[in-house]
Amino acid sequence: MFGTSRWSEYDFRVLTLHSLRCAGSTTLARLAEVAGRAEADVESELIDLAVAGLVTFEPGPFGGWGITPAGRAVHATWIADELAAAGTEAAVAAALDRFLPLNAELLDLCEAWQLRPDVRVLGLLGDLDRRAGAVCADLTEALPRFGRYRVRLAEALARVRAGETRYVTDDMASYHVIWFQLHEDLLLTLGIPR
Amino acid sequence: MRWVRSLSSGEPVEVIGGKAHGLGTLRRLGLAVPAGFVIGADACRAYLRDGRLPGGLAGEVSAAVAGLAAREVSVRSGASVSMPGMMTTVLGLPADPVEPLLDAVAEVFASWHTPRARTYRELNGIPHDLGTAVTIQAMVYGDRDPRSGTGAAFTRDPTTGAAVPFGDVLFGRRGDAVVSGREPALPLGDLAGREPRVWAGLTRAMTRVESHYRDACYLEFTYESGDLWFLQVRPGRFTGAAAVVVAADLADEGVIGRDEALLRVAPEDLRRVARIAGPADVVARGLGACPGVATGRVATSAEAAVRMAAAGPVVLVRPETSPLDLRGMAAAAGIVTARGGPASHAAVVARAMGRPAVVGAAGLVVSAGSVRAGGRAIPEGALVTIDGTSGDVALGEPAVTTELADAHVHRLLGWADEVSGGASDRPGAERLRAAHAVLRQ
Repeated sequence: MFGTSRWSEYDFRVLTLHSLRCAGSTTLARLAEVAGRAEADVESELIDLAVAGLVTFEPGPFGGWGITPAGRAVHATWIADELAAAGTEAAVAAALDRFLPLNAELLDLCEAWQLRPDVRVLGLLGDLDRRAGAVCADLTEALPRFGRYRVRLAEALARVRAGETRYVTDDMASYHVIWFQLHEDLLLTLGIPR
Repeated sequence: MRWVRSLSSGEPVEVIGGKAHGLGTLRRLGLAVPAGFVIGADACRAYLRDGRLPGGLAGEVSAAVAGLAAREVSVRSGASVSMPGMMTTVLGLPADPVEPLLDAVAEVFASWHTPRARTYRELNGIPHDLGTAVTIQAMVYGDRDPRSGTGAAFTRDPTTGAAVPFGDVLFGRRGDAVVSGREPALPLGDLAGREPRVWAGLTRAMTRVESHYRDACYLEFTYESGDLWFLQVRPGRFTGAAAVVVAADLADEGVIGRDEALLRVAPEDLRRVARIAGPADVVARGLGACPGVATGRVATSAEAAVRMAAAGPVVLVRPETSPLDLRGMAAAAGIVTARGGPASHAAVVARAMGRPAVVGAAGLVVSAGSVRAGGRAIPEGALVTIDGTSGDVALGEPAVTTELADAHVHRLLGWADEVSGGASDRPGAERLRAAHAVLRQ
């Protein structure tokens, strides 16, 4: 998949914790899509994490799996250790510097699309996606788990191009929501508070 | 002088850009504008073509800066069409030596081609080869002393169109502070009590620019030790109910004709949107990011929003949003953020979910379980009402209306029927479109 073939069960558990931290409270199906893994595997990890008090499941219309305060603390330690072990902080920081102007541009495009859904905006989104691809590639080299964003953004864009235009901003798997999670992931990885 | 022009040159907007053109207009109207000059967009085009500042520019800028007799200057972009926030601005740059100033000019020129600026031009149909002019002016200091300050003002209320000055003022601060929205500003009217002479000067200027532009206008100003200076002017370009009210009022005042009033209103401006109507205890104001009104109990976290939503409508109030807030936003009836603009993650998500939203309410300080606004504490669970058009955040449940300044609409559509010869029993947008079709023949 993305350089995880030698990962241990522990690694997959923290990856699931990380996916939940970036995506916010969500359903099992959505979380499996975020992580790019089988629902059954993710569910078994969520149960382990819940036993450890790091995640919790809430029923109800806006419920789902969510990270607990203890889970956030464990996650903060893990993500700092991960970057230190990889020794790629400078590369990730450089990628964030390139990401931020693209982020401002993407938000301009989303606003324009929401105020006036015009096919021209979609052409510009395709162009931005190409430039974002270069940043994602560098990020993936620095930390392989970022590779998943490239796949998800491409899927959202393909759906938009196939006419499912709610995948620009209006779906929980839309280009904007995935990008929002990527933004959050970059800030978390570098330990930058919002 | 080949590249440098005086602010009063009266040259067209294509040459000197919208900002300098407005400053020249202000000066001709007898209003105080800091000493300055403008480098034409032709110099930018030469820079973009050759990759360096054109020959002769350095000498011209050096001579023009010496003529300003200023210790520090501002360097601002200004294309012939508005591209707000897309290009670089440099404030408080020493006027001597000239080299850093030329570097700043090159930086502004180069910012024409940032990918974001390119995308903005594509979205708005602006040609890529226009280039931007650069205005260089003596600095005035809104932070000089307690009798200094800065503000941004509309000559009429941009939400309702009412003929009352509207805007923000910051006492003892520089101009960039109010435009950036980094600091909580005070209502413009506070200036009247604190600096009556400045207020009188400002309202006089409003009358003059309105009669010149024959429209509601936007002004940026700074006052330094009690002296008032104007830094920008442009027509207000109101939309929605405000566009209807201003167009009808200006026609009634005889400032514009009825045909022009009709052409200034778009069919979309007649859409009915819920708005706060009655007297309201407004505790904060931000930017409306998604129109509509929401009344609900304040929740300061996504968890609280989800929990409280089971018992009734909730307004989620956050410093700014992260993906952890998504389910809280889904559970909430309305969303407020203290930071961020109309193009922020929160604004995009709010519009996607169809939740009325106010963003960038800089006066709000959000902590776990409570919100502070000005000197007041708003506990979690307090009832608030937000207006996603005006950006108002009010305590309690003020009266709400979806009426759209009906007297004005009625009058304007009456004129539309006279123009089109059509009947008045059709939807408003249709009556307006019929009039437009005749007027644009």
